[in-house]
Amino acid sequence: MDDKMSIMVVDDEKIVRESLFHWFKKAGHKVDTALSGFEALEKLEKNNYELMFVDIKMPGMNGIELLGKVKTDYPDTIVIIITAYGSITSAINAMKTGASDYLLKPFKPDLLSLVMQKVVQQKKMATEYNYLRDRLEKINRFENIIGQSSSMEKIFRLIPEVAQTDSSILLTGETGTGKELVAKAIHAKSQRMQKPFITINCGAIPDTLMESELFGHQKGAFTGAVQSRKGFLEVVSGGTLFLDEIGEISQKMQIDLLRVLEEKKITKIGSTDPIDVDFRLISATRRNLENEIAANTFREDFYYRINVINIHIPPLRNRKDDIPLLVDHFLEKYSQEIARKVDRVSGETLEQLKRYHWPGNVRELENAIERAVVLSKSRTLKTTDFSFLQPSPVTRSGALSLNEMERQYILEILKQYGWNITQAAKSLDINRVTLHKKIKRFKLKKDA
Amino acid sequence: MNEKTNRIGILPIGKVPEIVPQSIAAHISGCLDLPAIILPSLKNIAGCYNENRFQYDVGKTLQTLESIKFKDIDKIIGVSTVDLYIPIFAYVFGEAKQGGKAAVVSLYRLEKDTHGKKQPSSIVLERAAKVMLHELGHLYNLFHCADEHCLMHFSGGLQDLDASPLYFCRYCSKYFLDARSKS
Ligand SMILES: [Zn+2]
Ligand SMILES: [Zn+2]
Repeated sequence: MDDKMSIMVVDDEKIVRESLFHWFKKAGHKVDTALSGFEALEKLEKNNYELMFVDIKMPGMNGIELLGKVKTDYPDTIVIIITAYGSITSAINAMKTGASDYLLKPFKPDLLSLVMQKVVQQKKMATEYNYLRDRLEKINRFENIIGQSSSMEKIFRLIPEVAQTDSSILLTGETGTGKELVAKAIHAKSQRMQKPFITINCGAIPDTLMESELFGHQKGAFTGAVQSRKGFLEVVSGGTLFLDEIGEISQKMQIDLLRVLEEKKITKIGSTDPIDVDFRLISATRRNLENEIAANTFREDFYYRINVINIHIPPLRNRKDDIPLLVDHFLEKYSQEIARKVDRVSGETLEQLKRYHWPGNVRELENAIERAVVLSKSRTLKTTDFSFLQPSPVTRSGALSLNEMERQYILEILKQYGWNITQAAKSLDINRVTLHKKIKRFKLKKDA
Repeated sequence: MNEKTNRIGILPIGKVPEIVPQSIAAHISGCLDLPAIILPSLKNIAGCYNENRFQYDVGKTLQTLESIKFKDIDKIIGVSTVDLYIPIFAYVFGEAKQGGKAAVVSLYRLEKDTHGKKQPSSIVLERAAKVMLHELGHLYNLFHCADEHCLMHFSGGLQDLDASPLYFCRYCSKYFLDARSKS
């Protein structure tokens, strides 16, 4: 490990700043100086400092205050307090606030080198600790799914277990919870891992095209079928088929798929020869299919076919413990992409993010971090960087009527989807007509 | 090598026993193979005295040395017997600015052991030579070295200084030769 460090000396006395500056320069360290606590905090916003020497007595913000702020926002930065003889009590206070050591000036030269030896030792231990923490973090991840909450740990345990079976799996959970990631992880742990993993978003394909997408067609089977084409059920041969938004497919398609699952054979459109197919089906939905069955919009026999194993992925607001881990992960991802250092969120902001209700779940969190990273001017994300997040309707006021809560919630979802009625209706789990009625009833307007 | 480049001037400050600059010059040519000459002494550095600390400000001392013009001299080593300090340190044995022109070394803290007992002159001269060579290293832009068996390792106390060798480690030697040929 390299013993060279980036150091900041904070002292209002020029002479102290300069002598420490030169001393550290001679040792080959990267040194910077600041003449006040405010300047120090500004510099910390822009660059990383591993070690700080901070004078206690400074006008404006004293060294103890600065120490407190550094230890809250940059806990990895080691702080050594410098103080004059006779103020030993404030030095002891500083140690309680998190200073690693203190020096009473003027100090003997060998004392400073002793302190530096200790700092190097401390840094080494921190590096080891971070290494171990990183390893631990890898355990908290499963093929890109991140979480340390007990509900996610249960899912991590379940994935390799169910991967060994060939039963159909239904993944349930709100939009943005990472159902596709779980499906991919199951595929990756299964015997079929070398074979294709194919995703079909049933909500995105018009019903008229769905049949040909899945089953394929013979040349001339219908107008526009100028060439024969393989369907996904054939292409997936031996792999895993992931049908996302399975709640959106038509009853006819449900019957067709049910037959495929039972017979393991398909017949192309325009053909009479059945072909053997072999795949593992994983479906996903954000709807409550049992309600749909009760309402006769989803077939019960098909439901039992696709739902041999059920894995429910909880919404983010029910596993808030995972938020810090996810925030770190996305921060790393996006600050790498923009090649500018935005590598932390303030403690206050993390609390704000934990309080937020995340209707769009992990995906919304990822989008929010990306947006904040791109727009942020400093290396720490603050609460103002997330001002675009709507406050949760439940926490806004305890005295809201049910009606008012519904009004606010619908408005919020509409805003979130940029007033795209189809998408908003889907997210609200109501149909478009109902949504239009509610918009009228609540007199919701686009620029309200 | 051009004789006029890399010439080191030894400048006695105030009353310094003659043997001290002589020993320093001998170490420069002996250890570093650089030409060294002894300059006529400077009377005093009274302007650098701090009445509150009863010590001499080494930063001001270096400024004073750098302001004096000497012909055909590359680096100046001031040799003194007064107590030197930098503001944050209780004392220093010597000082040089990184890549600078002047360095200074004082015998004041080198003459006694930690219990205040006077040391034989052979030990004192060897200590002074070590401090001087270390500071000269800084003048040629050498940094402190992590290797304890290297003259560029930082010695804050007499014990460290006595344990330190009279030469640079392999890396520092190489760096010194490179820096010398460039200057
Ligand atoms: Zn040095
Ligand atoms: Zn060395």
